[in-house]
Amino acid sequence: MSQHLITITVLLPVLGALIQAFLPKSLAGDREGMNGGTLGRWLALVCSLGASITAVVLVASMRTQVPDLQASETYPWIGSYAISYDMGLDGLNALLVLLVATLFPILIAAEWNQKTGVRGMHGLFLILQASFFGTVCAQDIFLQFFFWSITCLPFYFLIGIWGGEKRESAAFHSIVSASMGNALVFGALILIYYAVDPHTFSLRELAGGRLNGKVFEILGFDCSVSTVSFILISVGLALRAPIWPLHGWFTRAAKEAPPSVFIALSAVTVPVAIYIFMRLSYSLFPETLPWAGQFIVSVGAINLIMGGVCAVAQNGLRPLMAFICLAEVGFVLVGVGSLSSAGVVGAVYQEMVLGFSVAGFGLFSGIIAERAGNSEFKDVKGLPLLGGIATRAPAIALVAGVIVASVLGFPGSGGFVGHSLMIIGSYAMHPVTLALAGASLLLATYYLFTMYRCLFLGKSSAGAREFADLTMREKTYLLPVVLGLLFCGLYPKPLLELVRPTVLTLLSTVK
Amino acid sequence: MSELFLIMPEIFLFLTLTFVVIGEIAYHGEQNRLIILTSLVGLGGALVQTLIAYRYGATEIFAHTYTVDGLSLFFKLLFIGLAALAVITVAHTNEVPIERKTEYCALILAGSLSMCLVASAADLILIFLSLLFLNMISYFLAGYGKTSVKSTEAAVKYMVFSTVAGTLLLYGMAILFGVSHSLNIYAIHHALTANTLTHPTILIIFMLVFAAISFQLGVFPMHLWTPDVLEGAPTPASAFLSVGCRAAGFAVAIRILIAIFTQNSSSQGQWQVMGSVDWTQILALVSGLTMAFGSLLAFRQKSAKRMVGCLVMAESGYLLLGLVVLDQVGIAAILYNLVIELFALVGIFYVLSFIFDELGSDLLVDLRGMLGRAVPECICLVLFLLCLVGMPPTPGFIGKFTLIGVALRHRWPVLGLIAIFSIAVSTVAVSKLAYSLLGEFKAAQPRALSFSETQVSGVWSRKIFLMSLVIPLLLIGVFAETVLDLAGRSLGFIFW
Repeated sequence: MSQHLITITVLLPVLGALIQAFLPKSLAGDREGMNGGTLGRWLALVCSLGASITAVVLVASMRTQVPDLQASETYPWIGSYAISYDMGLDGLNALLVLLVATLFPILIAAEWNQKTGVRGMHGLFLILQASFFGTVCAQDIFLQFFFWSITCLPFYFLIGIWGGEKRESAAFHSIVSASMGNALVFGALILIYYAVDPHTFSLRELAGGRLNGKVFEILGFDCSVSTVSFILISVGLALRAPIWPLHGWFTRAAKEAPPSVFIALSAVTVPVAIYIFMRLSYSLFPETLPWAGQFIVSVGAINLIMGGVCAVAQNGLRPLMAFICLAEVGFVLVGVGSLSSAGVVGAVYQEMVLGFSVAGFGLFSGIIAERAGNSEFKDVKGLPLLGGIATRAPAIALVAGVIVASVLGFPGSGGFVGHSLMIIGSYAMHPVTLALAGASLLLATYYLFTMYRCLFLGKSSAGAREFADLTMREKTYLLPVVLGLLFCGLYPKPLLELVRPTVLTLLSTVK
Repeated sequence: MSELFLIMPEIFLFLTLTFVVIGEIAYHGEQNRLIILTSLVGLGGALVQTLIAYRYGATEIFAHTYTVDGLSLFFKLLFIGLAALAVITVAHTNEVPIERKTEYCALILAGSLSMCLVASAADLILIFLSLLFLNMISYFLAGYGKTSVKSTEAAVKYMVFSTVAGTLLLYGMAILFGVSHSLNIYAIHHALTANTLTHPTILIIFMLVFAAISFQLGVFPMHLWTPDVLEGAPTPASAFLSVGCRAAGFAVAIRILIAIFTQNSSSQGQWQVMGSVDWTQILALVSGLTMAFGSLLAFRQKSAKRMVGCLVMAESGYLLLGLVVLDQVGIAAILYNLVIELFALVGIFYVLSFIFDELGSDLLVDLRGMLGRAVPECICLVLFLLCLVGMPPTPGFIGKFTLIGVALRHRWPVLGLIAIFSIAVSTVAVSKLAYSLLGEFKAAQPRALSFSETQVSGVWSRKIFLMSLVIPLLLIGVFAETVLDLAGRSLGFIFW
């Protein structure tokens, strides 16, 4: 039993999705509307929570101070192409398993009262949960790509069906960008596969500079396999995680997608994409990384600044969230590219914290949008549209306060640990970038507190007077996010101990 | 006598055909179930006989005109399975009027018989005749919706193209016979190895023969019929034609191109081009063009059947990759993909035929909201479509991977790139179709109460049939290794 925990974690949500698909309508309570039978919803939640509990057990049972893969499961899948079902946990992905495990039950709970096609939505969330677990745990790049490319279609449907006015175009842009991204990554995989002899997809066998010095010929030119596949993978993943200038679909989706879907898109897809990037580039391309590190850091710096500057100009909570996410991704990339142990540990840590803070931001902005009817918080002149919510609904104000603090990296919140580690790690190599990071933090302080002032403080507007505080359900699902952020900020030691040994081992091959 | 044992599958098919025809004459429009049952039992018998024939090993019978080897038996299994699925499809559809279903079964049986002949033929005349037989039947099938203009147009297009292709094939074969004084393709191989032909002669022969094969495959120079016929023909017939004609084409292509135009290379399980004409370049060009055209055209379509037709065309392009490389691994990849296609395409056209019965249209705009009305059918449709274009988690992904992988290994990086991008474009096209099934999900909600009235799914026989397509499909993905191995073993005792 305990040897198959990862498989159980991946399969439970799939089972849940199947139940959602085949549950008879009379039992699921679809037609009676939200007040009817709720068996379908409960089953979705139970499956999702069950998978999350096994995931948490998995991470909790991991030994610290060990760089190797743990709880690994390996079965041959397609032997003649050396593809295997190879799953395992180490410091690089353990935190993301926690992130995925926490967020999906919350998303299902957040869409509890969805009126249209609730079963479809929950089923798609469950499929997403399973495939993200798979992506994060897979130790075979074919398997990883397999799970990763499953994730793009549920998003298409989630945006296309439950989105806002222009959902068709948003969904279309997201699928075009995702399938182009997947095509590029797939190309890189095949290139890598045929570059080594014997051909293999296994990360363990490919690690340790197996690709060093390999070249292939295209149209008469000799190209380095390592460099070309690194570029393909970077661009392919940048199309899935919003990296400036490829973020057009992301801001579009931000405006149209339902809040919960956008949380899944920004708080889960983005960290997972960065994780894949880190995993592949640290283990496969030690030859390319030293010079590519500069490049990663500069892309990160551009994202930081672009995200910050664009966020200042936003009047709505949703676009604001998109650009906060963009800026945070920039920060993480600076850590990834620093190639120093503190910076990379910080980046891994910040991946998870980014997920939590962006998800929290999305959750409370979703609640506000639901109550107020739209998510604009100030008009074009910068005057507040809502205001004084804090007196009517102190719980929302408190939650929002914690999340804003974490995004800014206040001491005591999760963002502080991640940000400071990354700053320490990259200071020696890239002092200029750090000045930019400081500037962008100042910008963030400005736009986040403007947002906070417009929404929660000041004179109550007409809309805010009827503003109801958090219900029990909302409190329940916001609690894990807030607690998670505070825990990450106040007691990061156990988590950092998980991450550090793996990062040190990976970095030792780069240098 | 032993020769008769080896053609038992064909004899079974022929007997079943006779019974069905007699039944049609005797009952004429009545006792449909009995006749459909007869066809299924006969096909089941033929399937068993094919499996038994595996025991005998590769042999040539009837004065070296007829080969029974791994390749032909593999294709026979495919064709008989296809015929069985097609018979069930037509039993479930309303597109073919009930009194004409028996006739239709007879045509399907005749079609599968002709395909089995194509798969085994090793003699130029026999190849030509069996292809003619197949195309004649296909022509009837394409025009089976007599009253529909599109169906008539499809039949005429099919006939014109097949006539041109047949003529070209005949010219090519005539020249081939002239230079080698033999009709048996293996004898031709020996004759050509003994004295090599001049550059222009072999080029002309190749172009003529390949033009004919390209019609059968629905690839570049003769690709125009594919979308038209698959759109115009009655949907169950489209299912049969889309898999059957192309698979028969691949059977001929593998046999003729490998046997006549290649010679054994130094490395095990590979071939090299015979003579001075490097025709793999032509094949590669055709493959690339077909993939790109097919997927881009699919992207622009407004009708579901036509879109699938374009995807099928692109599919032929991908499969050609397996032939370009002149490697047994490539051929095994083709066979693996054909098995996947068998289930995926029959499934797609089965669901489309059901939708057509309900709506009387297959335009994307008319499909709106279908998912709310027939949930299992539409989920299966999306699954089959994803499988056709090769998206994970379906086995189609592994199929495409084997093809692209083998192309890259043999230094065709550009083809691999085109294939990957065509897959991306096809995915977008399929998403469009899938999205139109969802349609105005929100707008449909106000009349949610009337959903139960318009709910059209729920017939158990249909669900069972869909499950019988989905489960093998998923098993092919999970046990990909075993299926690939079977395909490889079919090549193991092939008669080159």
